[in-house]
Amino acid sequence: MRAEPINRISKKGLRVWRIYGVFQTLIALLLGIGVGIINFFTGEYIWLYIVVSVIVLIIAYLLIYLFPKVRWTRWRYEVREQEIELQHGLFVVKRTLVPMVRVQHVDTEQGPILRKYDLASITISTAATNHTIPALITAEADELRGRISVLARVAEDDV
Amino acid sequence: MSKEKYKLHPISAVINFAKVLKEMIIPFIVVIALNGFGGREGAGDWSSYITYGIYGIMLIFLLVSGIIKWKRFRYWFEEEELRIEYGLFVKKKRYIPFERIQSLNYTEGIFHRPFGLVKVKVETAGGGATKEADAELTAITKVAAEQIKLEMLQAKNKLTEPIDYSSEVQQVVKAERQSIFKMSPKDLFVLASTSGGVGVFFSGLAVFVSQFSNVIPYEAIYEEIVVFIRFGALIVALVVFVVLLIAWIVSVVLTFINYYEFTIIVEDEEIIITRGLLEKKKVTIPLSRIQGVRVVENPLRQLMGYASVIVDSAGGSLAEKDEKIRLLPLIKKTKITPILQEIFPELQFDPILTKVPKRSRKFFYRLDYIWMIPVAGAVSYFFFPFGLLSLLLFPLSYGLGVWQQKTAGYYLNERQLVIQYRLFSKVIVWMEKRRIQSMTERATLFQKKANVSSIITTIKSGVSGASTTIPHIEKTDAEMILNWYEPHRKITIEKEQPLD
Repeated sequence: MRAEPINRISKKGLRVWRIYGVFQTLIALLLGIGVGIINFFTGEYIWLYIVVSVIVLIIAYLLIYLFPKVRWTRWRYEVREQEIELQHGLFVVKRTLVPMVRVQHVDTEQGPILRKYDLASITISTAATNHTIPALITAEADELRGRISVLARVAEDDV
Repeated sequence: MSKEKYKLHPISAVINFAKVLKEMIIPFIVVIALNGFGGREGAGDWSSYITYGIYGIMLIFLLVSGIIKWKRFRYWFEEEELRIEYGLFVKKKRYIPFERIQSLNYTEGIFHRPFGLVKVKVETAGGGATKEADAELTAITKVAAEQIKLEMLQAKNKLTEPIDYSSEVQQVVKAERQSIFKMSPKDLFVLASTSGGVGVFFSGLAVFVSQFSNVIPYEAIYEEIVVFIRFGALIVALVVFVVLLIAWIVSVVLTFINYYEFTIIVEDEEIIITRGLLEKKKVTIPLSRIQGVRVVENPLRQLMGYASVIVDSAGGSLAEKDEKIRLLPLIKKTKITPILQEIFPELQFDPILTKVPKRSRKFFYRLDYIWMIPVAGAVSYFFFPFGLLSLLLFPLSYGLGVWQQKTAGYYLNERQLVIQYRLFSKVIVWMEKRRIQSMTERATLFQKKANVSSIITTIKSGVSGASTTIPHIEKTDAEMILNWYEPHRKITIEKEQPLD
């Protein structure tokens, strides 16, 4: 068995994902309310109200509580001298290996919500693929970006 | 270094004109057709003259602009750069350093051939955001084209002179100039008939089968349905057959025009492909740009023992939709290995594949059932008697899954990974470790329970990437492949070797 990568993403990332979950749930809630209103004027099936509210509640549970939690516990990364290893996924666990030699450039990015929590995401690009580590403390992300770009420059083609 | 400025051949003016005309022909026809119908409904004679007058003026304008474009176009060589100057209203200049030029592609169109001219497309690395090739010389003589190549080689050699093996390389390279592969007319015919041909085959089969409805005692079931099957099915099948037959003939003709005299030459570390009947195309691919080689057999071709070979090449212009180049459009399977071996001596073309374990068979078809169950259920319910036919999807999908599982496999040696898989066509991909951009192990919760996982590799192809999956192999094998790919492990092996 290969050992899991050691680093986790910031605990605050979990909170940010919960916030995203709240937004997504709000959209579902609006749709549910829409269905309810239509039902009120046309059908008035009592069971429909119940079904819709149960669905919205389930969505809220999944998107705000369960999914962020599972995703957060899954998310691991490790930046070693010769390669970067990532592990993430909800139902499907993906484990990606990017050799330093293949790294073309590294970006950090910060949206409004991430900025509020002093977080940043970091994207590693090869000639063909992009890989994102979603939520790191800004200082940590900056440090990591610097480190990867140095390592990528030093790494030699071994073949 | 000459600073003389060269012009294109005057025929470029005609080609420019024809090119614009070709692009405008469809809107033109639409406008004329609409106008024609409008005219008949009773407009004055003179108004239609005006519209024709406008067309005339537009044609003249296009012709003149074609001539001006030709007059304005200049190219010359200066300071190891190819410099061009062009533009209709705005004068533009573009300087391309020779060392940046990746390839020169030659095309001979119908206008070029009587005068012994070629169109030269200059491509540089990376493939910027521009949609067109980096520079295009519409029509120059073959001598002039040769001169560009010479200038380029001169500039490049000057740069590599300090490295002592450059002359050696040159000698080796000059020796191997013979065609490696030529397509025979028979191959062309098979190529044309098997590409779109699957449909023709099946629709022919449908006509054939519908004749048998006489034999099967449908009468006993429903009289109305029999009528429907006899007429409905027969007519539909016939119409489909005729349409497909026409499509097939067109595809045969097009294939002949496009792939006539398809030839491959390897020279100067470059693969040169020439093809075409009316328009002779010449494409050069530097071997160093090739990222992966794949052999594709669709089931019909597999049955006949044919396959096609595609290479993934990095960079290039966005104009060619993807840089998957058909290296061998169609070839007898038995002949592939020697040819590929000659072009790519470092690859292992007779790999012994490690197959996918039998217990992961379910992963190949089970996922499809998720959408098939509701669809088949709905179809069966709404189109009751015939809808039940949709249940046939299940055994078919199961069969395909088993087929996919039996085909899939991989081979690994120190430097390369070979993957064989099937969606519908069977594909074998060769890639070198140093060409793989990233590798991912992927496992669903069910896969994890069964102790299997998939490996996804990505190589560069064109301006983006191409991913290949080794589906559902043993977890230990997947980890072994990840370890193989992980850079530092290999270095430790290399460090150990000198000690021996």
